[in-house]
Amino acid sequence: MAAIRASSLHHRYQPGAPPVLEGVDLELRDGEAHAVLGGSGAGKTTLLHLLAGLLRPSAGTIEFDGRDLTAASPAERQVAQVFQFPVLYPALDVAGNLGFPLVNRGWNAAAVRRRVGEVAELLSIAALLTRKPKQLSLFERQLTAIGRALVRPDVALVLLDEPLTAVEPAAKWRLRQALKTVQGELGLTMIYVTHDQTEALTFAERITLLHHGKALQTGSPEALYEQPAHEAVARFIGSPGMNLVDGEVSAGSIRCNGQVLGATAAADGRCALGFRPEWAAVGERGVPVAVRSVRALGTLGGVATGLVTAELGGQAIHVQQRLDGPVGSQARLHIDPSRILLYRNGWLVTDATG
Amino acid sequence: MRANQKAWLAVAPVVLVVAFTAVAPLMTVVNYSVQDIFDVHTRLFVGLDWYRETLRDPRFLEALVRQLGFSALVLALEIPLGIWIARCMPLQGRMTVAFLIILAVPLLIPWNVVGVTWQIFARPDIGLLGAAVTALGVSYNYTSSAFDAWATLVLMDVWHWTSLVALLCFAGLAAIPPAYYQAAALDGASRWQVFRHVELPHLKSVLTIAVLLRLMDSLMIYTEPFVLTGGGPGASTTFLSQYLTSMAVGQFDLGPAAAFSVLYFLLILLLCWLFHASVMKRGDAAA
Amino acid sequence: MSAPNGKAHWSLYLYCLFLLAPLYWLVSMAVKSNRDILGGLELVPGDPTLANFVEVATNPAWYGAFVNSLTYVCLNAALSITVALPTAYAFSRYRFLGDKQLFFWLLTNRMAPPAVFLLPFFQLYSAVGLFDTPLAVALAHCLFTVPLAVWILEGFVSAVPKELDEMAAIDGHSFPFFFFRILIPVIRGGIGVTLFFCFMFSWVELLIARTLTASEAKPIVVAMTRTVSASGLDWGVLAAAGVLTILPGLAVVWFVRRHLAKGFAMGRV
Repeated sequence: MAAIRASSLHHRYQPGAPPVLEGVDLELRDGEAHAVLGGSGAGKTTLLHLLAGLLRPSAGTIEFDGRDLTAASPAERQVAQVFQFPVLYPALDVAGNLGFPLVNRGWNAAAVRRRVGEVAELLSIAALLTRKPKQLSLFERQLTAIGRALVRPDVALVLLDEPLTAVEPAAKWRLRQALKTVQGELGLTMIYVTHDQTEALTFAERITLLHHGKALQTGSPEALYEQPAHEAVARFIGSPGMNLVDGEVSAGSIRCNGQVLGATAAADGRCALGFRPEWAAVGERGVPVAVRSVRALGTLGGVATGLVTAELGGQAIHVQQRLDGPVGSQARLHIDPSRILLYRNGWLVTDATG
Repeated sequence: MRANQKAWLAVAPVVLVVAFTAVAPLMTVVNYSVQDIFDVHTRLFVGLDWYRETLRDPRFLEALVRQLGFSALVLALEIPLGIWIARCMPLQGRMTVAFLIILAVPLLIPWNVVGVTWQIFARPDIGLLGAAVTALGVSYNYTSSAFDAWATLVLMDVWHWTSLVALLCFAGLAAIPPAYYQAAALDGASRWQVFRHVELPHLKSVLTIAVLLRLMDSLMIYTEPFVLTGGGPGASTTFLSQYLTSMAVGQFDLGPAAAFSVLYFLLILLLCWLFHASVMKRGDAAA
Repeated sequence: MSAPNGKAHWSLYLYCLFLLAPLYWLVSMAVKSNRDILGGLELVPGDPTLANFVEVATNPAWYGAFVNSLTYVCLNAALSITVALPTAYAFSRYRFLGDKQLFFWLLTNRMAPPAVFLLPFFQLYSAVGLFDTPLAVALAHCLFTVPLAVWILEGFVSAVPKELDEMAAIDGHSFPFFFFRILIPVIRGGIGVTLFFCFMFSWVELLIARTLTASEAKPIVVAMTRTVSASGLDWGVLAAAGVLTILPGLAVVWFVRRHLAKGFAMGRV
């Protein structure tokens, strides 16, 4: 296992082509489960290929345990990868597939057999060792592919490229569970790339959000949820995402649509106001809003909860709250004043930076 | 898939065309093969006599041995060479299209023009190849030496048909997802292992087609040796089709020629079936 | 060996040289007079002339044969596609009594050596009065082009999702409208590839074409062999005719160059 540090990675596929990555920094502690989250075209797969050594960055460095391996080949880096669909060698059986990386590194047959047995035991696929890939279900194939990624005891980094995409929904949970267990038991450094925030939030200790080739924020799942560093993070995380409405700061108070919503130490000027749907409530106090629809989500602790869609100064907002009584079409919106986040030029304004 | 017997209506034109071009002629051949025909009105049923005679004909047996030797030789050369050529191709880009076109050219030249081209190319007096080989101090003349005739024929067939194998294999290689190569690189696989464990398994179905096509076509070869060597020197390059044609057209031995034809067709069917069955069986065992 | 997406390996250039050398020699012979050809070996023609091409283009025996060849090749391609398309569709979309056996039996016709058919073809086409016409050769070549066309087109039709058929039906289109205005445009690449293969096997064939023609419909390939046996000496004209027979092939391959790799991948076992 290793600690990984990637510094200001830039990449473009051809000189003159638009950049895919623009100065991405990434730091992983030894044994960390890290997720890289982003939409399509964010540069996730390119980042993986750079870390694996399948591509050379246009600029920037990659260090494993402090050693600069920017120019090293995939084999030198001791990196393993699990792909979106199960990549297995069709002519080899499961044992052959699991042992393949070991045989290539000159292990003797007995040692290979012992290690393959251990890994198969760990993933509960010992019964499948003599089967060919064709005879396995999609789930079993992906499990075997994961096994091949884990088989080298000296593996420095395991890359997972949306490994649950091809698996049927019912098996996704089992596979993610297996991955998490193995990651914890072996203390593997893992990077899990996905566009699915649920997968990222449940798998990783820390998440990096990648957006149009830039790493916007790295932090714990809570940090990304509570304090998104950028509007794009705020919108991407959460379902529905954070509400962002136009507002301004004047003389220490936060205003929207002419109403004062709270106080701040930030400097005067226009900004975007951000709040999570559950940080607000539609009711009898606050600023007037026009309610557009109310949708029940279910009950929580015996009380019905729902999603209220409303308009605030012509901008749609979502509020998630208890449905204690009827919500009229003309109501008032109250936002917890301590939780309103301010964004200027896309980035979060903290009181200190003013 | 829907079960629909009306689909036979859609298939009917093909069945009609094939009945006219294949079934009727084949029935005629089978009919001739069991009769002795003196003229249109005088025929005699002779049973399997013509078959017996054909199988005892030393010239038939010699042609058969030559034929099998030739097919085995060109397959052994063309299949590996075709795979190698396909592997050397860049997977995309303008050069790929250029290479594809160059590879396809020999396949589109009339077979007798292939013969003429090589006839000119290999002649010691006016041909580049013939003159070059002679200049190296090797005595070479494909019209007088059986070995030279064979070497020229095999080289010509490789020139003519390796492209087919290469194009098929290229199509197979182009269909392999890049993730397989990436996984192999991360697993520390050598180039040979990439070929053995990634490329070859994915080429299995196109290679089966390539071997089948080359097997049946090489067993039918007629035009190129006819033009290049005329079957000579002596009968050293007389293969089955050439011998059959000389029997049917040259000597009008209808009965023996018909029996020969049936045996010839059955031989090709048998060899293709044996190959196909062995591939399928191994596939099942592996699956 | 190449890496995926890598550059062409040097041995590929060597192989292309091997492919092109005999053709270069053919072209260089075609632009030389017979005296120069027999006079001595020269790598680059010293005194190029178009006289041989003029001879081929102005002699009716030559260009007539050229027209005959193109006629039956086009007839054959049109015929093969016309009968093979509905069949390919049926094999791809329906299950019917004996479908597998029929498909396999069609392919076995590809395994019949043309030499086997010489005699019955001659008698059959004489009997129906088609002997020595381009139509006879076109029909006879269907022996191997039709099974091939069905095989390739079936692959292309199967690659079209069945939902397309259903959508057209839901939209209220008649079957002919769907077939001609929707399906055929979708698989036009496949039709191009099939035409390529029909051309490839009909244009290049000699044995059947020679057997089914005498004088009226004599194709170019036969005209060439008879020149050899008659004079056997005019290498320049022979080479020029040979060069001209390569040109239609080049035109066809240029036409389908984008679909070439895909077309080869479509065959199934």
